[in-house]
Amino acid sequence: MAPAGNWESLQAALQAGADAIYFGVEQLNMRARATMNFTLDDLQEISERCSEKNVKTYLTMNTIVYDHDLTLVKAVLKSAVEAKITAVIASDHAVIAEARRVVMEVHISTQLNITNLETVRFYSVFADVMVLSRELSIRQVKAIVDGIKRENITGPSGNLVAIEVFVHGALCMAVSGKCYLSLHTQNASANRGACVQNCRRKYTVIDQEDGHELEIDNEYIMSPKDLCTIGFIDQLMDAGVTVLKIEGRGKSADYVKTVTQCYREAIDAVDAGTFSQDKVDQWMIRMEEVYNRGYWGGYLFGKELGEWTNASGSKAKTRKIYIGKGHHYYPKSKIAEFIIEAFPLQVGDRVLVMGNKTGVIETTVQSLHVNDDGAKEMANKGDRCAFPIDTPIRTSDKLYKIVSAETEEPSL
Amino acid sequence: MITITQQRLKCIGCNYCVEVAPHRWQMSKKDGRSQLIDSRERRGFWSVQVSEEEREINEKAAKLCPVKIIQLRG
Repeated sequence: MAPAGNWESLQAALQAGADAIYFGVEQLNMRARATMNFTLDDLQEISERCSEKNVKTYLTMNTIVYDHDLTLVKAVLKSAVEAKITAVIASDHAVIAEARRVVMEVHISTQLNITNLETVRFYSVFADVMVLSRELSIRQVKAIVDGIKRENITGPSGNLVAIEVFVHGALCMAVSGKCYLSLHTQNASANRGACVQNCRRKYTVIDQEDGHELEIDNEYIMSPKDLCTIGFIDQLMDAGVTVLKIEGRGKSADYVKTVTQCYREAIDAVDAGTFSQDKVDQWMIRMEEVYNRGYWGGYLFGKELGEWTNASGSKAKTRKIYIGKGHHYYPKSKIAEFIIEAFPLQVGDRVLVMGNKTGVIETTVQSLHVNDDGAKEMANKGDRCAFPIDTPIRTSDKLYKIVSAETEEPSL
Repeated sequence: MITITQQRLKCIGCNYCVEVAPHRWQMSKKDGRSQLIDSRERRGFWSVQVSEEEREINEKAAKLCPVKIIQLRG
């Protein structure tokens, strides 16, 4: 299950072979800021784009809910049912109850922090899928899955309750994201989807009595590394987890595409019996190119202490720089034309084309046709340039160059 | 006079403005976002002119707003 914070990411998830996507509309989800969300009017198109590819659509509505939100809850769920959205990911009981009333499938959000079989049984009256707490070990996850089978715990559909876990992406220092820090310092409640991620900054600890600064090896004392389970995804699947969730509605489409593709390949490899350390190494190389705070296996092996990051932002080995915008596509010759608006482009450059309908295309510039001057090695700002790409691009698309994270900004 | 402006469509419905300035703000039961009382909308910005005595509580509302969509001018 891949995150879709916007059209670009949604399209990237579809291209990368996700079985399901999750997204938010309006403000009642854990990424409430408008830039990471869709609106009610988008529901129909989300549903159509995904059902065409047989991909399930999950609407997240998992903040705490106040009385003034109840009408919106009803309106969103009504629209979601009409648009044939597959299910809602909920935590507040008002949302769960309303979803049942309008006969919408319910998935229990990790915000409800399910950590044992009896809680699964409790929520099985309402929900067919449950996301377990991010803090459980594989052993604990397996015990819950085994218990569901042994005691035949079924959801409203009559099928056994399915278990979902987070397999990749940001973790935070708070249990199941129930954090007060952002509210405390910025008045921005994480539990209303407005987390400002102040845990990701550097801190020093000072003893107020004598003014001594505590010696801390790492100043990012509250910022864990990102979860990555691809190296032991076979064990998670063996444990009976059926839904594997990738975090990242606030991240860019190239992250969504790369990470989803890697996990798609990993799952298929496990199914085919070809999962191997060599392959894991290859997937890790690819995933280290996109946004990450360094990776660790989370709590799935019952680590006593978390692993803290040593950087404020991404440790990705590459970054993308904006080059220009789409201009034209020649379908017969499969040539894409772009206008260069920023930095120069050269033959041999690795590039990304990103857009709401296009999603993410990655390719290498094999040859470059500049303006009407024929083949060239380089195109500069203001130039119209063309190179071969197998799939169509659009005028709304943006062209980026992938460079090593250490590369300084090239001169214009 | 001061002008209060709200970019209403970016509101996440946290309720803080209503808590500090209930005479000027209310939660809409319709869409769960806060409403600037007596305001008029123009291109996504809702605004209203109010007297000086409302400055302090609305400055507080603006400061508390987690998504920073409330502005005071004048």
